[in-house]
Amino acid sequence: MNHPKATRRDFLKTTGLTAAAFGFPTIIPSSALGNAETLPPSERIVMGGIGLGNQGGNDLGGFLGNKNVQYVAVCDVRKSVRDQRKGKVDDQYKTKDCVAYNDFRELLAREDIDAVHIATPDHWHAQMVIAACRAGKDVYCQKPETRNLAEGPRMIEAARRYGRVVSGGSQRVFQDYRDTVQKCWSGELGQIKSINVNVGPLPQAACNLPAETVPEDIDWDMWLGPAPWAPYNSKRCSGSFSTAGNSWRSYSDYSSGGLTDWGAHHFGGATYAVDVRELQPTDITYHDEGGKKFLTFTYPNGLLLTHNMPGKGNLEVVGTAGSYLHVADAKAGEIKPAVVATPGANRPAKPIPGYSAKGGIYADFLNCVKTREKPFRDIELAVNSSLLSHLAMLAYTVRRSLKWDAAQQLFPGDEEANRFLDKARREPWQL
Amino acid sequence: MLDETFDALKSYDWGMDPKAILPLDEAVVSTHGDAAARKALEDRLLAVLRTDASRDAKDAVCRVLRTIGTVASIPTLAALLPDEKLSHMARYALERIPGPEAAQALLSAIPKVAPKIKIGLISSLEARREASAIPALQILLASTDPSVAQSAAYALGAIGHPEANQALAEAKPTLATKAAIADASLACAESLLAHGRKTDAKATYQRLLAGNPTKPVKLAATRGLQACSAG
Repeated sequence: MNHPKATRRDFLKTTGLTAAAFGFPTIIPSSALGNAETLPPSERIVMGGIGLGNQGGNDLGGFLGNKNVQYVAVCDVRKSVRDQRKGKVDDQYKTKDCVAYNDFRELLAREDIDAVHIATPDHWHAQMVIAACRAGKDVYCQKPETRNLAEGPRMIEAARRYGRVVSGGSQRVFQDYRDTVQKCWSGELGQIKSINVNVGPLPQAACNLPAETVPEDIDWDMWLGPAPWAPYNSKRCSGSFSTAGNSWRSYSDYSSGGLTDWGAHHFGGATYAVDVRELQPTDITYHDEGGKKFLTFTYPNGLLLTHNMPGKGNLEVVGTAGSYLHVADAKAGEIKPAVVATPGANRPAKPIPGYSAKGGIYADFLNCVKTREKPFRDIELAVNSSLLSHLAMLAYTVRRSLKWDAAQQLFPGDEEANRFLDKARREPWQL
Repeated sequence: MLDETFDALKSYDWGMDPKAILPLDEAVVSTHGDAAARKALEDRLLAVLRTDASRDAKDAVCRVLRTIGTVASIPTLAALLPDEKLSHMARYALERIPGPEAAQALLSAIPKVAPKIKIGLISSLEARREASAIPALQILLASTDPSVAQSAAYALGAIGHPEANQALAEAKPTLATKAAIADASLACAESLLAHGRKTDAKATYQRLLAGNPTKPVKLAATRGLQACSAG
């Protein structure tokens, strides 16, 4: 087998000493080309997928259809799902070579796999991202990337330690809020003072669904993983996008309702628009005005990000030169700008960060795997965005204001709040 | 209202409406800052743990103790640690109770429990960044159960103390534990570097590179050495 050294180094940027020497993708032998478009094997990224239900199946389709990818493995704790996804991959390449796994550790142990995408329920994300980084894999992980405040720093740590490209998975952050982003970054609104996000709801009360017979199709213990043991119930583990109590998204053992599920998008879009993706707030002020509960996040640069503020729209921005309300996707044509120009208040436009390649967030990730740049939703930015959901969740739970120390990653002097930083994992799972 | 809730707990089980015990969450909020009220609530919750209430009911109690549990909760929670069905949720509360007593309860249970539960205890010590656990973890590094040894390694890495690094350096990696010991050593080196102990960090990275590392570890250790040499 030939190893075309020059070709590998051509498409890899070397940062410092080691990225090119140790980070390049595996060679695919020509026998595995199947009917894939004939990109040279040495330039294809070998991928596997973990958690391939509703959204995971969408992600699989996105990666499988990309000429830069050779898809070789699927993993899901439901046999019917992994068999169906294996079939899809095999059909793409007209082979039978895709391997189906129940246990993600077996997939990660494969030395030929360069990158994985993860779309399990949220309670597995940190565990799997960290394990993938330790195994030398680059990772695309669905949002919300974290399920509590302690997980984010560990995921960032693992990504940086092993020099991995780790992308969070909100495609909406870049594509859904462009109008607001454009207005903010163009300088038309002047210096941005505040932005409001409307998103929820909080998760349902604890999941106490009755026990049902465990179908043979599912490895229930593995589905639960680090979450507390509970009897099988089809609604408990349903991947429905609803948060009304008939899906894992509804319950805090696995996710945190709409606050994290859609919060990842809206908080992500808001922090992108007002350019605080790299920051974390210092204060979370809890308001209860006539029964209406809302929050104000204060950032170190003075920016205020409000959550569910009465009378405010979603991604409603106020700047020194005017204000702007984001156009909702379903309301094209009902633009409600409220730009009130103050002479001399404009500021120069800044170049807007975006994807590193055409083709959406999947292409951005794949391009970064090759170039070793940080992706648009780098794990640190993803964590900063998800953080807002978790801080909000806690403030609404304890019904009071909080202070946050980003350097220490804790609530200074607040023992009660610090108890919520993490949750004990069910044995034998450990970060 | 709370009397009804504690009555409901006696028969609470999966399938019952969780709203029946929602007043417990309200009680947590309403007793914030009121030590006497919190103690009264804690005492009533602990009493439930000592009955034959269902697993579900005890899980629910442990969830509340996670927020309000004090040193007073430790003996009752510690008694649940060897129980295969209740150990995790006992830790759910115990892991978040500050102070050496909780750590000691976790450490004391280690010799008495099955390997899988040992890993749970170790993970809670890791989450607490419990430096007092280093001697015990060093012993567990040599466990004949590879999962336990791996778990101890990861915990030492998360603790990141120079003594933890020393314990890892003295360990004899096996095929099963090599990756965990390497990752933990990398974590310790980062901690040393962050505290300005470049010489010790460098020695750790060099030790890793000399040990026939895997590609991911070689990359990480080489990057680490670069960081030691930087500014």
